[in-house]
Amino acid sequence: MKKILALLLALTMVFALCACGGSSAPTAEAPATEAPAAEAPAAEAPAAEAPAGDEIVLDVIICQYGPNTNEWFLGSGMNGTNFVDKFEAENPGVKLNLEVVSWNDVYTVVDTRIASGNAPDILNIDVFANYANEGLLMPVSEYCPDELFNDFFPSFIDQSVIDGVCWAVPDLASARALFYNVDMFEEVGVEVPTTWAELEDVSQAILDYYDGEVYPWGIDMTTDEGQAAFAYYTWGNGGGFVDADGNWALNSAENVEAIEYAVSLVKNGYTNPNPETQTRYDLQDMFAAGKMAMVIAPNSLPTYVSDKGGTINMATAGIPANEGKTGSSVGVMDRVMAFKDDAAPDQAARNEAIGKFLTFFYNPENYVGWVSMEGFLPAVNSAVEALVASDPSFAGWLDVLGSCQFYPTSMAEWDAVKQGVIAAEQNALTGADVQAELDALQTQIAG
Amino acid sequence: MNRTSAAKQNKVALALLLLVVIMAGILLSVPAYRFTSTVYSQKSPNTFVGDEKYLAVKAEVETLADEYRTQGMEVTVDESVTERTNSKGEKTSLVAFTISEKFTKNGWSFLTAGINSSCALAAILICLLGALACAALGCRGSLDTTYKFLDSGSARLRNASCWLLLIAILLVPVFFMMSTYTLSRRVGLYTAGIVTEGKEALFQTLDKFLFAGMAGENVDVALKNLKFSNTGVLWALLPVAFVGLVAAIQLRFGTVKHTLLRGLLYAFVIGMCLFILYPYYVMLITAFRTNAETNDMYFQHLFPTEWKWENLSHIVSRGVPRYLLNSAMIAGGATLIALICGIPAAYAMSRMKFKGKKIFLGFVIMSQMFSPVVLLIGISQLMSTLHLNDNILGLMLINAAFNQAFAIWLLRGTFVAISPEMEQAARIDGCSVLGSLWHVLLPMAAPGIVTTLIFVFINAWNEYTISTVLISTASNRPITVGITQFSSFNMIEWQYLFAASLLATIPVVIMFMFIEKHLTSGLTAGGVKG
Amino acid sequence: MNNRLGQKIEPYVWLLPSLILMAIFVVFPICIVFRIAFSEVSKSGLVGGFVGFKNFADAISLPAFKTVMLNTLYWVVSVVVLSTVIGFIVAMVLNQDFKGRKIARAIVVFPWATSLVIQASVWNYIIKYEYGNLNNILLNLGIIKEAINWRSSYQIEFIWECGVGIFVTIPFVTFCVLSGLQSIDKSLYEAAEIDGASFWDRLFNITIPLVKPSLTVATVLNIIYVFNSFPIIYTMTKGAPANKTDTLVTFLYMLNFYDRKKGPATALSVIGFLVLCLCSGIYMLGVMRKEED
Repeated sequence: MKKILALLLALTMVFALCACGGSSAPTAEAPATEAPAAEAPAAEAPAAEAPAGDEIVLDVIICQYGPNTNEWFLGSGMNGTNFVDKFEAENPGVKLNLEVVSWNDVYTVVDTRIASGNAPDILNIDVFANYANEGLLMPVSEYCPDELFNDFFPSFIDQSVIDGVCWAVPDLASARALFYNVDMFEEVGVEVPTTWAELEDVSQAILDYYDGEVYPWGIDMTTDEGQAAFAYYTWGNGGGFVDADGNWALNSAENVEAIEYAVSLVKNGYTNPNPETQTRYDLQDMFAAGKMAMVIAPNSLPTYVSDKGGTINMATAGIPANEGKTGSSVGVMDRVMAFKDDAAPDQAARNEAIGKFLTFFYNPENYVGWVSMEGFLPAVNSAVEALVASDPSFAGWLDVLGSCQFYPTSMAEWDAVKQGVIAAEQNALTGADVQAELDALQTQIAG
Repeated sequence: MNRTSAAKQNKVALALLLLVVIMAGILLSVPAYRFTSTVYSQKSPNTFVGDEKYLAVKAEVETLADEYRTQGMEVTVDESVTERTNSKGEKTSLVAFTISEKFTKNGWSFLTAGINSSCALAAILICLLGALACAALGCRGSLDTTYKFLDSGSARLRNASCWLLLIAILLVPVFFMMSTYTLSRRVGLYTAGIVTEGKEALFQTLDKFLFAGMAGENVDVALKNLKFSNTGVLWALLPVAFVGLVAAIQLRFGTVKHTLLRGLLYAFVIGMCLFILYPYYVMLITAFRTNAETNDMYFQHLFPTEWKWENLSHIVSRGVPRYLLNSAMIAGGATLIALICGIPAAYAMSRMKFKGKKIFLGFVIMSQMFSPVVLLIGISQLMSTLHLNDNILGLMLINAAFNQAFAIWLLRGTFVAISPEMEQAARIDGCSVLGSLWHVLLPMAAPGIVTTLIFVFINAWNEYTISTVLISTASNRPITVGITQFSSFNMIEWQYLFAASLLATIPVVIMFMFIEKHLTSGLTAGGVKG
Repeated sequence: MNNRLGQKIEPYVWLLPSLILMAIFVVFPICIVFRIAFSEVSKSGLVGGFVGFKNFADAISLPAFKTVMLNTLYWVVSVVVLSTVIGFIVAMVLNQDFKGRKIARAIVVFPWATSLVIQASVWNYIIKYEYGNLNNILLNLGIIKEAINWRSSYQIEFIWECGVGIFVTIPFVTFCVLSGLQSIDKSLYEAAEIDGASFWDRLFNITIPLVKPSLTVATVLNIIYVFNSFPIIYTMTKGAPANKTDTLVTFLYMLNFYDRKKGPATALSVIGFLVLCLCSGIYMLGVMRKEED
C-alpha cells in the first residue's frame, strides 16, 4: 500500500513539476504567443532588432464571432499565418497579448479585469458607454490616425459619440432582415407579408397547410438576445427604446401594442414553442431544415444555412410593420476601444502602438478577409470595393445597412434597459400585463 | 424435501408452464390494435354550413359512404368546419368531410403480417413453447428428484427454460415498440416524403395486412391518415410470461426469492449504467457527425450516417491536447498542494487536543460558502499582486485552497477512524512523529487519501469560471476554457464541443479506474476498522 | 518549560500550511467581497466609498428577490435530498458482490468526471423539442408516436435543471457513502444474520449509524456546493423567463455582469453566505454535539 501511495504522490509531483515548467516558460519569455514552428523565425526576427526596453505590449481582448475567429487571430487561419504573427512582423517593437474570449464570458472577464486594475489596452465588444462615462476609455482622437478615422462610415461613428467625443470605433456590423422560404410560400400560395395583419394571415395559412408541422414565424426572446425582438416589433410600430428627443420611452403606447402583438403571435401558435429559451441558433437551424417558414436573421444566414447543409431556397424582405407604419431595418454593431493606462511609461508611444494596431486591422488586405470570413458587413469605406467584388450580394446589404436603426448603446442606462426589456418580454410570455411591465421598467430607468 | 413432494412441486410448475402457453394463445386471439383509416376525404373551401354547396358535397359524400357499406366495410362519415376571419374582416370557412373505416387486428394477424413486429411476436411464442418443451424434457426421468441432485443434462434444460422465459418477457415491450415504429415512424417519414428507400415493399406489406390488398394505389393516402391505438391486451403477455418464469425458476432452483432478487439487482445496475451512459452516448454520436447532421430535425439518424473521424484531428489541430495537458497539470498540482497542506492539518485535528479546534473546523467550512463566481474580483486582484495572473501555478494554488475544506474533513474522518495505538507503538520503537505518520498512519489511511485525491483532482479538473478570468494566453488555458472556442456568436459547433468534452472525460475515468483498484484492495488488505 | 510551550504550539504548526493557503487564497477574496458589499460600485466594477447597507436594501427590494430565494430553496432541498437518497441506494447496490462491479463503479463516476457546463449543454441538447436526442431515440425505438416538447413551461424546465443537478451530484454522495460502507466490518453483518435480523434491521441498526459520519460531512459540503452551483442553470435557461428559473447564484451573476448592478449583486452574495452559515452552522452544531457524546 505504501508503494502505491508513494507512486501516487510521485505522479502528482511530476504533474506539478511539469506545470511549474510549463507555466513559468511563457511568462519568462514575455507574452510570445505560440507560433507554429514555421512562422517562428519571422516572428522573432523583429523582436531581436528592437531593444527589449522599448517594447510595448498591448493586451487585446477580441470576442469570439465565429468558428474561425480564434484561428484567424492566433492559429493559422490567415493564409497559413495569423493576425498576431503578421502584425508583430510588420510592427517591430509592438507585441500583442491577444486573447479571444467567448461572448458568454466576455463581460465577466472584462469587468473583473477592470475591477482588479488589469483593464486590457484594446477591447472589442458591443457596449462602451459605461466605460466611457467612468473615464476608463481614451477618446478615439488620441490614438486613431486621421486617415483611418475618416475612412469609417460617419453614421457608424455617430453611434459611439457621447457629448461630442468619440470613444470607440466600429469593428464590424450586421444587418437584420426577414428571410423566408420561397418554395414554401409558393406551395401554400401566399405572398410575403408586409404588415402585421398580413403576417398573421400568412402564418395561419402556413399552419393550416402543413398541419402544424412547420412553424410559420420565428421569435427569439431569450436572455441572450431578447432586446432584438423588442427592436423588431417596437420599431415596426413607430415606437422604440427612445422618443424623438432621445429620452427613454419604454412604456409608450406603441411599444405596449407591439409587445402584445409579438406575444399574441406566440400564443396563437404561429411561432416556435419556447421563445424564451430558443436562441437565434435554434431558429436558424429550424429555418435551414425547412421547419420554419420565416425568420428575422442577420445577413450571414445564407452562409450559416449552407454550412448546416441546408438546401432551401430563400429570399429576403423587409421586416413587417404595423398597418400605416414604416418598418426599419435593424443593425447591430460592435466596437473597438482603447483603455487608459496611466501606468504606461510612454503614453505617446503607447497611443502610437494602438494606432498601429487599428491601421493594421483595418488595412483592407486584412480587414476584408476578417469581415467576409464570418459573413459580417464592413465599417470602413476602403473595404467596400473589395468586398463587393468578392460577393455582389454585399452591395444590397450595404444599402440596407445605410437605412438601419441601431440600439441606443451610447446611453448610460443601456445595460439595464436591455435586461429590462428582455425580462418584460419574458414576463409577458408567462401572462403578465405588458403595460404594467413596461411602466415599471420606465420608472426604474428614467425615474 | 422428499421425492413425492418434489414430484408434486415439479408437476405444478410444469402445469403452470402449459397454462402460460395456452393463455398466450388466447391473448393472441383477442383484438390487439384498433385502427381508423381514412378511405376518402374532401376539403371544400368557401363553404358555409347549411348553404347549397355544403348540402351538395354532403349528399355526394353520403352516397359514397353507402357504396362502401354495401362492400361490407364499416365506415363512418365525419365533417369538420374551420371558420376564420381574415385581416380584411372577411369570413372564410373550410369544410372537410372524411369517410373512415374502423377495424381491429389481433395478435394472430400481426403474426402473419410480415412486418418487423411479426418477428418479435413469433419469437415470443417460440420462446414460450421452447420453455415448455425444455422444462418438460428437463423433467423427463428426473421428475421426482429435487433440484439439488439433478443430472447436468436436466439442469441445463431447466436453465434454458428460465432463460427462454426471460427473453420472452423482454420481447413483449420490443413487440410494441416495433409496431409503433413501423406504423407511425416509418410510415410517417415515407408519407411526408423525407425518406423513400424501401417504401414500396413496406407499403405493399401493410396494404396486405391492413386493407387486405384493397387500397392498391391509394395506399399512400390510406396510410397517411391511419390512426391506431393499442388495446393493451397483449401487455397481459408480460405477467403471463412472468408467472412462467417463476415456475421455471422453481423447477430449477426450488426457491424463487434469491434468484429474483439477484435478477432485480442486475436489472437495477444495468438500468442505472445505461441511464448514466446515455448522455455520453449522445456526446459520442454527436462528436462524429457532420455539422449539418448535429441538428437532425426529422429524427432520422440514431447514429451518424458517416462517422467523421477527422473531427478528432480537427480538434487536435485547434489546441485541445495542449488544453488537456494544462488541465492535467493544474489538477495534479492542485491535488498535490491540497494533500500536502491538508494531511498535517487533518493529523493535528484528529490526534491533538488544542484550543480553537472547533473554530478551525468551522472556519474551514465557512471558507467554502462563497461561490467562486462571487470571489472573482478578489481573486483577480490577489493574483495580479502576486504576479500569478495568466499562470498555471496560480490556478493550482486557488484550486488547492478551494478544496481544503473537503480534504481536511475527509482526511480527519479517516484518521479518527484509525486507532492511534499503531503509531504509538512505532514511536516507542524510535520512530519520529513524521516517521510514524509516513510509515504507519498514511499507509493505513490510504483509502481515505485516495478518495480525497480523486475528489480534489476532479473538482480542479472541472473548474471553469476562475480560469476564464485569470488565464489570458491561449496556450495556458485548461480544457474547460479551451472548448469555449467551439461555441461562438455565429455558430455552435456541437460536434467539436462534444468530441473535446469526451476527450476531457476519459482521462479522469481511467485515472479513477486505476486508483479504484487500489482503493478496494487497500481496504481488504489493511486492517481498517470503523 | 520550553517543552510545554512546544507542545502547546505544535498543533498550530501542523495547521499552518493549510491556514496560510486558505487565508491568502480564500479569506482575502472574501474580505474584498465584504468590502464591495458595503461600498459604492460603478457599473464597470470600480469600487467607491462606503455606503452602509444601501446595497443590501437595493438587493432586497429587487422585484425578483423573493422568487429567486424560493427557487434557491427548492433547488437546494430537492437536489440535496434526492441525490443523497439515490446516492445512498446506489452505494448500497455497488457494495454488493456481483459480476461487473468494477465496471459499474467506473461508470458511476462518469457524470462527475465531466464539467458541469458540458453536462448542462448535453442535457440541453438532449431535451430539445425539434432535434433533441431524447425525442429521436424514443421515436426510433417506437416508444412514442410523436415528438414531445420536453420543456413546455418554465416549471418543467426548472424540474429538468434539478434533475441534471441530481444526476451530477449522485457520484459525490455515492462515493462518500461507499467509502463509509467499505470500512464497516463484515462480521457485524454476520453476527446480525445469526441473530435473525431482517434487511431493514441491519440497515437502520448497522449500516446507517456507521455511515453517518462520512454522510454528514458529505451532506454539509453538498449543501454548500449545490447552493453555489451555477453552470447548470446558467447554461440551460439563463434564468429565463424573467428570473423564474434563477437561483441566487445565477441571479447575482446576471445582475453583476449583465445588468451591471454590481453593488446589490455583491450584497446578495453576502446574504447567501449568511444564510448558508446559519443553516450549516445549526446542522453542524447538532451533529458535532452528538458526535462527542
